[in-house]
Amino acid sequence: MFTTQNLVSVAIAALLTAGLYAVMSYGLAIIYGVMKVINVSNAGFLMLGAFMTLMYSQWWHLDPVAGAVLNLLPFFGAGWLVYKLLVRRVVNSRSARPIASLLLLFALWLVIQNVALAIWGSEDQSIITAYTYKSLIVGGFRLPLTRLIVFAVALLALSLLHFVLGHTYIGKALRATVQDPQAALLVGIDTERISALAFGLGTALAGFAGGLLTLLFSFTPDFGGPFQLKSFTIIVLGGLENFAGVTVGAAILALAESFAVLFMRASLQNVIAYGLLVVALIVMPGGVAQLWSRIRS
Amino acid sequence: MRPSLRLELAAALAVGILLAAVPLLIPGNITLLNLGILTFLYVAQGVAWNILGGFAGYVSFGYAAFFGLGAYTTALLWLAGWSPVLTYPVAGLVAAAFSLLVGAPTLRLIGPYFSIATIGVGEAMRILMLNLDKITGGASGLNLPTIVPSKTWFYFVALICAAIAYAVAAWIRGARFGLGLTALRLDLEAAESLGVRTTLFKNLAHIVSAALVGACGGVYATYLQYVHPDTVFSFTHSISLVLIALIGGLGTVWGPVLGAAVFFVVQDYLQTSYPSFHLLVYGLLLLLIILFEPGGMAGLAGRLVARVSHASTGSPAAAPAPHAEHGGAPMPRTETERPGTKRTT
Repeated sequence: MFTTQNLVSVAIAALLTAGLYAVMSYGLAIIYGVMKVINVSNAGFLMLGAFMTLMYSQWWHLDPVAGAVLNLLPFFGAGWLVYKLLVRRVVNSRSARPIASLLLLFALWLVIQNVALAIWGSEDQSIITAYTYKSLIVGGFRLPLTRLIVFAVALLALSLLHFVLGHTYIGKALRATVQDPQAALLVGIDTERISALAFGLGTALAGFAGGLLTLLFSFTPDFGGPFQLKSFTIIVLGGLENFAGVTVGAAILALAESFAVLFMRASLQNVIAYGLLVVALIVMPGGVAQLWSRIRS
Repeated sequence: MRPSLRLELAAALAVGILLAAVPLLIPGNITLLNLGILTFLYVAQGVAWNILGGFAGYVSFGYAAFFGLGAYTTALLWLAGWSPVLTYPVAGLVAAAFSLLVGAPTLRLIGPYFSIATIGVGEAMRILMLNLDKITGGASGLNLPTIVPSKTWFYFVALICAAIAYAVAAWIRGARFGLGLTALRLDLEAAESLGVRTTLFKNLAHIVSAALVGACGGVYATYLQYVHPDTVFSFTHSISLVLIALIGGLGTVWGPVLGAAVFFVVQDYLQTSYPSFHLLVYGLLLLLIILFEPGGMAGLAGRLVARVSHASTGSPAAAPAPHAEHGGAPMPRTETERPGTKRTT
């Protein structure tokens, strides 16, 4: 069972999943970084992204990847609206409790989830494409095509994000706001607009990831929950304000989950994520980044 | 004792007596009895949850873990031959012990991080219980003995649970313990520096509320005669408690009572559309409450009372606002936004 062959293939499968995990969690990281808000409705938008992609494939026979891309704009708009109408009210006032934004977004998630239940019911949905069951043999390992595609697309998206954050004005303004909102204001950045943008971007990424998810998993309106917790585990592991850390956190979680299945029942897999979450929050809240800087100093 | 508190307790006693009289006045009404039993259990849990969530300000999304533990403790002891009533306190104790175990590390986290951690703990418990099928019956649940007392008996037991929970919460509210909890909610560091033993108080609140919820779980198990991890450990159950307390009014004692009553009526009434429609309604209600009336229904009621007495006396509102000061209204937070642990040396 523990042959090198086996271990390597588990590791590869984990890394392929990590790509998707990273995209899914990036939105959460951006929103948290900019406004210190934990967007628990991220899971709701993830699920909506999956369902909208389902609709696209049912109405127009659109491939899930195309569907995921199609989701970007409307979800960006939705996130922008959510910020303008709801989040802004509980975040900026000096007397706002941090828990208020959490509860607000939680309420939003409840609403989204139940509206989805009302529209689509609670049966398992999945999208079968021409390549769902195909795999590629690379170097003696069988890699499912869907996972490869999702990984490639995720990598592309992450690279694009990295470029935008690093080399465009908006990206730099965003990172500045993350570092120090007041200083950003002083240098003339409209932090209000950046916040709205960040929320929109985070939600867009959630919708995008949701679309990609349809290639790998079947889904119901309830499936957002575990992913939400996993996303949060990932950003805590990576260091809450560290964007590069998201990919590291995603890799750690994916590897931990995949290797754990070798030792325990598959149905206990989510407990790994939850356990890691609690441990990470308590033991290393600054995530891997904190560990890294401690090693360096 | 504050006059407003005395009034509150008198009102609560009156309501309690009225409710106790119901099965005597309308005997044999199964639907009413069932509604009463479940509502009282939710009232008890909501009020208990509020001790940590409303008074101390630590919003936990994982109370189903205590409910489930209580339910399973009772179930297993009952199957082993114990008399059900004797198991209730044990169920409470088991839940309390577990709450100490998970609470000690997690209560060191501030606000939102604590909440997220509790989601993880609650869900982890559910999955673990589902997988420990030798003990818990796993996915098929546990069937319990069918020789049970009458529904009327359960009605009174549930009412007593609610009464006990209410009494405990009211006592805490009026005692220094309660003041300490409010203090640590408003500003943890300031409370610490003033000598409030915040860690002790937090954990104590956690234990007490967990014990109450656990005992309710035990009652629930004997009432339903069946336990299954997906029902007693469900995230939906945890959410329900949060919703009841938030919508009823965080930080008041009778807020959750109102919240639970309304929650149950709404759930019962909307059950026909589809199973979790009431959650949609409550989600929307929660949205509105966070945005416009953080004090929940209790806060709203308080404001109305103040308005009415203002209008009738024509003078600036000097009306007693017994619940207004801790109605869960946004308070300035001076602590930094750093996640993770709060250092309380």
